[in-house]
Amino acid sequence: MTLPEKPLPGINADTKFFWEGCKSQTLTFQKCEQCGYVRWPPSFICPECHSKRTELIKSSGKGKVYSFIVYHRAFHPAFERELPYVVAIVELAEGPHLLTNIIECRPSDIKCDMPVEVVFEKRSEEVNLPLFRPSFPK
Amino acid sequence: MPGSIKDRVAIVGMGCTRFGERWDVSAADMIVEAVYQAYEDAGIETKDIQAAWLGTATGMTGMVLSEPLRLQYIPVTRVENACATASDAFRNACYAVAAGIYDMVLAVGVDKFKDSGISGLGDGGAPGPSHAMEAESTPPRQFAMLATTYFSKYGLSFEEGKHMIGRVSWKSHQNGMRNKNAHFQKDVSMDTILNAPMVAWPLGLFDCCGVSDGAAAAIITTPEIAQSMRKDPVYVKALQISMAPRDGNFNTNYDFLHVEATVRAAEAAYKEAGIKNPREEISMAEVHDCFSITEAVTMEDLRFSPRGKVRDDIENGFFDLDGGLPVQLDGGLKCFGHPIGASGLRMLYEMYLQLQGRADELLNPGFPSRQLANPKLGLTHNLGGSPDGCAIFVGIVGLPGV
Ligand SMILES: [Zn+2]
Repeated sequence: MTLPEKPLPGINADTKFFWEGCKSQTLTFQKCEQCGYVRWPPSFICPECHSKRTELIKSSGKGKVYSFIVYHRAFHPAFERELPYVVAIVELAEGPHLLTNIIECRPSDIKCDMPVEVVFEKRSEEVNLPLFRPSFPK
Repeated sequence: MPGSIKDRVAIVGMGCTRFGERWDVSAADMIVEAVYQAYEDAGIETKDIQAAWLGTATGMTGMVLSEPLRLQYIPVTRVENACATASDAFRNACYAVAAGIYDMVLAVGVDKFKDSGISGLGDGGAPGPSHAMEAESTPPRQFAMLATTYFSKYGLSFEEGKHMIGRVSWKSHQNGMRNKNAHFQKDVSMDTILNAPMVAWPLGLFDCCGVSDGAAAAIITTPEIAQSMRKDPVYVKALQISMAPRDGNFNTNYDFLHVEATVRAAEAAYKEAGIKNPREEISMAEVHDCFSITEAVTMEDLRFSPRGKVRDDIENGFFDLDGGLPVQLDGGLKCFGHPIGASGLRMLYEMYLQLQGRADELLNPGFPSRQLANPKLGLTHNLGGSPDGCAIFVGIVGLPGV
């Protein structure tokens, strides 16, 4: 039996910069040039001040677990072989909250506020998916 | 008073089907069952209804109602507002009477999910174009994150937090097992609840409600007509909707410790009904317990419990049938069931029966009474969506002069 393929994020004009950045192992976010708010998900105007003036910044890829849960029932058949797996909101040092997976860590060891860092998983020629793993001070 | 619904309309009849796996009947059959119960309760017939509002998450147009009831060319509006659907149908029906346009209207909610081939409410959809990171978003995930964050921020160990939310479901089963129309009527022990398979950690099987088939109906009129029809009409005190803008995706200050739209709707409802201290003044409530943690957090959002302190009230039985403020008296979504488009009116039905002293009409034989002593005000609450992006309804009904 062949396992179903994992679904891939759709890429459009708004999100293209983000996935381009991921291809070169970088998290890229939009920062408002007027009020400085760093936003996610991508949008044409700033959700805080409605300015259209935007610059792109490179994220450090460092953050902490804001909240998390452990899936014991798969969202999609393609994820069944990975059960139980962790879905988390990671708060990046730059501010944005990303919905992602925590990997390289037992689910029972994960706590809110624990430090994590981005790691990219190649899913296709176009998609390097940003996931997170525990980071320990060096 | 302009701008307030308080005591401007009254409920004179209600009906509600048994919820559950209703393989033997159609949605149309359940509409007929609920509505004819309401007709009989009010002492009226189809020809007395001047306009109707139909809540359903799945059926299209008001014909879902006009066809089975053979309504003769009167206006019917189909309402959809996720899990707040039935309550919003009721709200619009009340407003039409309060506006003086009609003086006898019908609000109905119905949905039939068990033969639709899904066991839950879907998976949040395929990866979308603009929300590129939303792929793994299911309702258990969205609400389980409330639990993880709540445990962490208020310093509860996993065992303490898990016991707290398990106690929420245990209480609902204690109530649901007394109710002959509930979907799930088993006496479930704390051990069973705590050791059930995980769905989305920390939420296990008994932390999640199911979906059901069912229908419920209400007949609304003016207070004057209501008093001429029966000695115990139930009066509407507040009807509030608050719609959240999905702040959790866009606002990094969104805390996943509360549901802001519930706070907003509740405060507006308390103002409309003239309630200052809901913990003392509200006699009973049916709230949206799609997941056990949702009910726990809702107790704080409604100001039934102080912020961060709901665990004490849950563990001390404050929300039990014999507690200070009974919640989910009919079993709630967890046990009575959840046919999305009917749930708000099902909650209202329990408040209506309790206020009239008729709750034991639904008592399973051999069980202790479900009836509260002298309830005065009942609150219903629906949450349609996820904690940060949802349609919230908060309504209050009660006796005259309260
Ligand atoms: Zn801005």
